[in-house]
Order: sequence, then structure tokens, then C-alpha cells
Amino acid sequence: MPARDDILNRLRTALRQPELRFPPPETHRLTADDRMTVGTAEGDRWALARRFGAELETLHGTFEIVETLAEARMAAIGRLQMWVAEELAGRRTERPEQPGDRDILIWSPDALPIDGLTPALSDLEFRVIEPQNLHDPDERERVRYARAGITGVDAAFAATGTVVLGAGPHKSRAASLTPFRHLLLVPISRIFPTAEAWMAKMRQDGTLTDFLRESRNVALVSGPSKSADLEGILTMGVHGPKILHAVIFDDIEAMIRG
Amino acid sequence: MQKSSFSTPPRRVALFVTCMADMLYPGVGIAATELLERQGIEVVFPMEQTCCGQPAFNAGYRDEARVLARRFLQVFGPMVENGSVQAIVAPSGSCVTMTSHFYDVLFEDSKEQPLRQLAQRLASVTFELTEFLVDVLGVTDTHARLEGTVTYHPCCHLLRELGVDEQPRKLLAAVDGAQVVELPDAVDCCGFGGLFAVKNAGISGAMGRRKADNLARSGADVVAMCDVSCMTHINGILSREKIDCRAVHIAEILNGQLGSRLHPPEEEPPMTLERPRRWQDATAADAAAKGEKGGD
Amino acid sequence: MAVINLEAPFKERVANALGDSHLAPAVVRATDRMLQARHKAMNSIDGEGLRTQTRQMKEDVLRHLPDYLEQLERNFQANGIVVHWARDGVEAGEIVRGIGLQNGAKTVVKSKSMATEEIHLNHVLEQAGLKVVETDLGEYIIQLAGEPPSHIVAPVIHKRLEEIAEIFHEKLDMPRTMDPTEITSAARVRLRNEFFGAQMGVSGCNFAIAETGTICIVTNEGNGRMVSSMPKVYVVVMGIEKVVPTVEDALLQLQALTRSSTGQQMTVYCSMTSGPRQPDQPDGPEQVHVVLMDNGRLQMLERGYGEALLCVRCGACLNVCPVYQEIGGHAYGSTYNGPIGAVISPALAPEIARFKELPHATTLCGACRDVCPVKIDLPRLLVDLRSDLVEAKTNPRVEQLAIQGYVKAMSSREMYERGGKFASVASNLLAGLTGGEIKWMPPPLNGWTDHRDFPPFAKKSFREWWEERQKLRNRE
Ligand code: SF4
Repeated sequence: MPARDDILNRLRTALRQPELRFPPPETHRLTADDRMTVGTAEGDRWALARRFGAELETLHGTFEIVETLAEARMAAIGRLQMWVAEELAGRRTERPEQPGDRDILIWSPDALPIDGLTPALSDLEFRVIEPQNLHDPDERERVRYARAGITGVDAAFAATGTVVLGAGPHKSRAASLTPFRHLLLVPISRIFPTAEAWMAKMRQDGTLTDFLRESRNVALVSGPSKSADLEGILTMGVHGPKILHAVIFDDIEAMIRG
Repeated sequence: MQKSSFSTPPRRVALFVTCMADMLYPGVGIAATELLERQGIEVVFPMEQTCCGQPAFNAGYRDEARVLARRFLQVFGPMVENGSVQAIVAPSGSCVTMTSHFYDVLFEDSKEQPLRQLAQRLASVTFELTEFLVDVLGVTDTHARLEGTVTYHPCCHLLRELGVDEQPRKLLAAVDGAQVVELPDAVDCCGFGGLFAVKNAGISGAMGRRKADNLARSGADVVAMCDVSCMTHINGILSREKIDCRAVHIAEILNGQLGSRLHPPEEEPPMTLERPRRWQDATAADAAAKGEKGGD
Repeated sequence: MAVINLEAPFKERVANALGDSHLAPAVVRATDRMLQARHKAMNSIDGEGLRTQTRQMKEDVLRHLPDYLEQLERNFQANGIVVHWARDGVEAGEIVRGIGLQNGAKTVVKSKSMATEEIHLNHVLEQAGLKVVETDLGEYIIQLAGEPPSHIVAPVIHKRLEEIAEIFHEKLDMPRTMDPTEITSAARVRLRNEFFGAQMGVSGCNFAIAETGTICIVTNEGNGRMVSSMPKVYVVVMGIEKVVPTVEDALLQLQALTRSSTGQQMTVYCSMTSGPRQPDQPDGPEQVHVVLMDNGRLQMLERGYGEALLCVRCGACLNVCPVYQEIGGHAYGSTYNGPIGAVISPALAPEIARFKELPHATTLCGACRDVCPVKIDLPRLLVDLRSDLVEAKTNPRVEQLAIQGYVKAMSSREMYERGGKFASVASNLLAGLTGGEIKWMPPPLNGWTDHRDFPPFAKKSFREWWEERQKLRNRE
């Protein structure tokens, strides 16, 4: 008998035994009404934005909240310039620039909540890379050394400082994973109080399961990469980004104005 | 296990002294008896009682444990069922756990349901001593006196299986003259664990020494607890490590007589009806000073 | 550094652990830190509610496991994931090795996984000529040191920074440094090469969602995302009990797990893979394989230990366990250690006697049950195992005789009283020799007196006092 049928048959037989010590014969399947919300966050959209930022800060990330798309664009560009300057300042003089210093991995404009970033950054002598196929050896090599990544978010949870990053045709996973620094563009309209609230909304809209399946990979990210494996001492940036900065901006105003 | 809520307060209780207290620490049984009697409770001691069977149960010898469990139910069952006692009280959280929780496991088998039900009925009226004093009798002060620093070690079964913790702490806090201090990492197991202490003596010893270190750090002269088994282990370690602290059963403090193990007296336990111990005198004098009617 | 020899007898392993003066302090420090974070994370919310619901969810999964597994399989396949089934570790190992060889893999990057530890996958792959690289920082360190993990979630908990620095110096030819940041960035650079060069990624699975066919792995470092995103082939080895019905259930378990494990509200990364990349996606694996593995789990259920299948491997029971704190993980000599290890190591093994010491290496203090996010009654399972061990006749004959003797003595009042008298005389004699307390007892009781004194029995028992008092009263 193939392993599959063997296992399933044996399992069914075992579960039919009346004197089986565990599990109990009757169990209760949780319903939408039973389910608890584990953490909470309250208030209007600004309160949620601040809470999201505050939570991100406790996770060793940083954030800024701005009001318009234009300000968000400026903030993003400013942050990237600052990062390069920081990096160069902290380095020994004999090797001022390294491959990748000015390379930025980015989601395609279609997937980003702010337009015009790529041309603006290119003007500032950044090399903006929109990954197309990471299994291509040349591209893989180019992606490898990029020091910064820019992505949007599919959703964010205020209570835990978490962002949801779905993969997709225009949404490279690498942009949020391999670089040392990760810039998150977080439209306020995407901030939900909790993960449960986001799921409930998606479930209601009938999009939750499709979102997971079609994205093929969805990452919940809460802060920069870290480890406590060395005697419990916190170290940052083990494999993922060491620095995580969120630019939170009000897209609702913009939406209303059209 | 659902505990009985008494409509009329119990007047007669059976004392399950436990085999260890009986043979090693009679003072604990005496203190328990006197504490109960002072509350106007008539104490009955069924002479046929021996051991609850926990050592066999914990070691996995269920058939053997069932022999002793049946015996316990035979000794205590009828007196509870015919109403001649309203409760069973034991100065041990661990033994009460055995009779109240683990008998239920022992008689799980469908053939054993009558015994299981009997065990459950008994469990609903079986209490650890401090639990009985506080929860059933509503006692919060036993008018005891103790000069010195005291801390409290919650024994695992009492704390986690019976959920009894506030009760002994409350009674201890009321002891006159005693300075009650917190024990660091109080809820950590002392490392006794029955046969574990012999089977895994090295680990048990290490855990005991950690407890002893914490006792030393607490600065307490005595550490009170509700089980003589853990007390034996802790005292054994304290004495071996020459740490100036002694473990005593809480009943001995609450009854105003420190255990004979603290200052081993040469004379034997008193055999008179009055209680001539100095703690007792202090308690009586104290009560008189407060204008209350003393003891009995 | 203590020698780690998992093949040594249990007593010897324990003695080694107790003899290592650095071990317990290191373990205590780390476990206390995790435990305090856990308490904070659980107490800041309705922790009891979270535990109750997670348990309810998992109980329901176990009751309907075959159905959920079939649903999971269907959705995996619909998403383009290749599903394999393995009865035991050998089959699972062969499947993974086969996938590796078929794809011409030379280097395999792995994200920390207890399921693959269980089947010694690294060894299997290395035998086939593949290079296996553990990528969790802690796991990487112990792989360099040639040791197994000593904790379910914090594999290198037993090592001090000095020792880690020495390993990096020795194995990676790195200048000696005690700076954690430097050690971390050295690991980052080296492992980055492996992530970009490896042909195959392997991970376990924290939970898999039946309704969507999704594999979820949680990490703090990001290696889970790397392993599931960078190589062309991604292989998941999961125990059959890891399935959860819905996305909401996954969220529930995720929160129970992270809060009770490291005390985080959310783990840094939860990577959820529902298949190989779509043709128009820039990155992600081209093949995803899942090995659904039994390896003793069914037998555990059949033996009556199904409750242990609720375990989400958070490690809280290890952190709170005073025995684990004294001896660390290696002394257990099994893949899983601490209280849950003491239950599932024998319950998963073909012969429970294989790990017969473990169920006895606990005081049954119950602290583990109180922190378990799915409320597994570990002490109960441990006494059940002890009873099964008695039935399997694996205990020493002398122990059985001693227990029978004790039960006999306790079965009649006469014998009990006579025994008490005898013990009183004998123990007082013994105590008299050493001045008050008994400092020596013959084997097997020397276990007691090796570490602590024993008081002599009372000269007059309680029952004697009682009888005399009754007489006195009757005379009045
Ligand atoms: S038994 Fe409970 S506490 Fe222990 S690892 Fe499993 S889930 Fe965590």
C-alpha cells in the first residue's frame, strides 16, 4: 500500500477506537463568532498610524508620518540619500564605495503606492533595479549586492507593527529581504487595527484565500531581522534587513480629492 | 474536582494524617488536630488508615496503587457516606492531590465506575488543612506567635493541582511577631519528586541546592510549607549544606508550636490534654490581651 | 566545554551535564529571559483565552485529521506543490535525497527544523554527497561545533559567547572576537553566499493551512524566507499533525506560538508559501515539495498519547522546567528534550523502553502544563508513560519488589505499625551514629543521602500519641 493510504487508513482506524484516550470524541470547531482578537488597537486613522509606528519602534524599526503623497516621495528619497551618506561615513577611507551602495531593489511602479520614484532616484545616481527573474545568473548577481530595497505593503497591523507583503508579478520578494536596508511605503488606508481585523475584511470581501494562493508567498514582517542566539544578546540584521524604516502617508485625502 | 460548599459548617472531620507525618513528624499531626479542635471541630482519627498510595502511582505501578486506594476508600468512605464526618482533612497538599485527583485516574476503567464515583464524592469533601481552615471555616488568624523571619514555599501539588496558595499565605501573614519575607523563585519545584529524589538523585540534589540558595537569600529563619515530604528533602539539603534556615510544616507555626525538627527536643510529644508549649501560652496570653476568649 | 556524547548512558549524560559548571547558569539565564517575556506577552492580553482557543482548534484538527490532511493535499496539488507521504524517517529522508539528486543539487540551505532533526536529514543528504548548511544563526553555530540542538527554539542555549567566539575562530578562521555584532555579520556574509548559491532549500513547517494549501514557517532572522525564496527547489518536511483548517486558525496558532515561545507579539517573519512562483513572478522557487511525515505520530496516537500531538513546539515547557534548567537539552539524549521531549521521545520511538529514563527524569511539578499554550497535561502523560513502562516490564526487578513490599506493608494496620516501629528503631540507631541526622543509607537509598540528610523516624508516632490521648480522655 502506498504510504499515503497506509497513513490515512491507520489514522482513521485509530480515531474510530472508542477507548482511544485522546482526542475526545466530540470537539468544537471554532466559528467566526467565537474567535477572539488577541491584541487591540483603537482610534482614528492617525491614531492607528501612530500606534503602528510606535510598535515598529519597539521592534527596532523607525517611522515617519507625512500628510501627502508628495511629502512621502520626498521623505523616501531623503531617507535613501541619508542611508548612503551614513554608510559612506561609517566606512574606512581606502574603500569608499562598494558594489551595491547605490543599488536599490524596488517593486514595479504598478505595485508601489507612490509614483515617480524611479526617475527621481535615477536622477540622483541611484541604480534602481526592478527584479524580473532572480534565477537568471546575471540578475541574481546584481540583486545580491543591492544595499537598499523599497516596497509598498498589502496591509499593516497597528497593534503589532506588522506589514503584509504579498509576492506578485510586480512585487519582488527580494526587495524586502536581501538588502541591508528596507524602506516601507505605508499608505494609511492599508493600516488595520489588528491582523484579525484585516482577515475579517478580506474574508468578507471573499479575497482572503485567493490572496494567499495567488501571491504564492505572503510574508508577515514585524520589524527588522534579529536574533538572540548569542547568549541572549540581541543582534540585528542576521539575514534580512538590519534597518527598517516606514514612511506612513495619508492616501485617503488623495483618494477623496481623486 | 468540584468542592462541596457546606450549608451548615462541618462539626466532625476525619483526619488523614498521612503516613509520613504519622511516623516521621507526629508533631504535625498533633498541630493539625489541635488547630481543628480549637475551632470547635471534633477530630476523628481512623486507626486503620495508612498511605494513600502515591509512591506506587507516581512510579507507574497502578495495580499496586489501586490496592492502597481501595483501602483508603474503605477506611474513609463509610464515615463520609453515613454522615458521621462531614469532611476529610489532611496536612498535605500532595496526599490530597492523590486522593482527590489521581484516584480518578486509577479508577478510570469502565469496570471501576462505582469506586471512581465514591472517590469523587470523597474528593468533594477532602481538604488540605489550610484550605479547610480558610475556605471552609473562614479562619484567617490562628492567633499564633513566632519570633523570627518566615518565608513560604508553595509545594507543587498544592499550588498547581489544588490551586491552594492564598490560604496558607493568609494564615502565615496573621502570625504575630513573624516577619514574612518573599522567597525568590518561590514557585520553582524543590526537586523532591518522590522516587525521583533517589532515581535521579543528582538532579534532585541540584534542584534542592538551588532552592536552598534562594532560602539563604531570602534571609528567612524558617520556611513554612504544607507538605512534610518536600520539607524532609529541603531540610536534608539545608542541613547538609549547613544553611541556617529550617523547613517546618505550616501547622506547627499556626498552632504556635515550632516543629520538633527545628530544635529537636529530647522529650516526646506532650501527652496531656492541655498544651503546655510556650507558643501555646503565648497564644492564650495574646488572645486574653485582645479580650478574646482563648483557645477552646 | 563538556563533551557531548548522546550515545552515553543516561546517568553518564546527566552526570556530565551536572558536572559542567557553566551549563546550568547559561541555561537558566536564557530560559528565564524567554519565560519572563512569555509571561509579559501572555498577561498583556487574554492569555487564558488564547490558550483555550488554540487548544480547541488543535483538538478539532486531531479529531478530523484525515479529512484535513486530504483537503491540504488537494490544495497543495492545486497550487502546484508536489506532495509526498512518508511513513517513517527513512522514507522521508529518501524522498528528500531523491529530490536533491534529481535536481542536481550540490548545496542545500536549511532553516531550523525539528522534523528534519528527528530524521537526521543532514546526515542522509551528506551521505549522498550534498553539502548541507544550517542557516539559523544558532543552528549554524552548533553545526560548526558538530553538535545537535539543545533546545527546540534556541538551539545553542547551552553555549557561552566565549565558546561561540572560539568556534568561529577555529572553523571559519576568523579573528577572535567577543563582539556579537561582528560574529553576526560574519555569519551573514558567509550564509549569504550559501543562500545565493544553493540549489535547494529545506525547512520544516510550523503549520500548514488546509483551505489554501499554504506552508507557514516562522523565524526572526529571515532565513526561513531566504530558504523558501532563493533556491530553485524548496522542500518542506512536516509532521502530519501540523495542519490547521483555515487562515484564521493559522493566525491563532501563530500568536499562541510566538507569545509563549519568545514572548513576541508577532515573530519578525512569518513566511507563507502557497506554491512555486507564478511564471510572471520575479522570484521564488520553481518547485515546491512537501513531505507529509508520520514517523511515529500515529503510533503515539494509538498508544494514547495523542494529546502530545497538539504541541506547537514553542519551548515554553523547557524554559519553565527546573530539571531542564539543571541539565540542559543534551542530557536527554533525544531530538526533543524538556518535558515535551520526555513524553514524545518514548511515545514516538518504536519501543517506549528506548527512552525509558526520560519519563522518570521529572518531579511532576506541573509548571510545564501551566505555561503550555495548548494546555497539554504533561505531568499526566508522564505518569501514564511510567505506567506503560511498568507494563512493558522495563523497570528494574528490585524496584518492583520494593514497591510490592511497600504496598503489602501499607495494606494492613498491624504490618504498618510494626514496620513503623522497626523503622523508628533502625533509623534512630543509624542517626545516633552520625549525630542526629542520617547521613548514610545503604543502596539504593544512598541516592538520598549522597545529597541530603534524612531525619530519623519519630520515637513515638502520631497514632501512638492519639491512642494515649484517647485513653486519657476516656479516663476523665
Ligand atoms: S508541550 Fe506545550 S509548552 Fe511544550 S513545546 Fe509543546 S506547545 Fe510548547
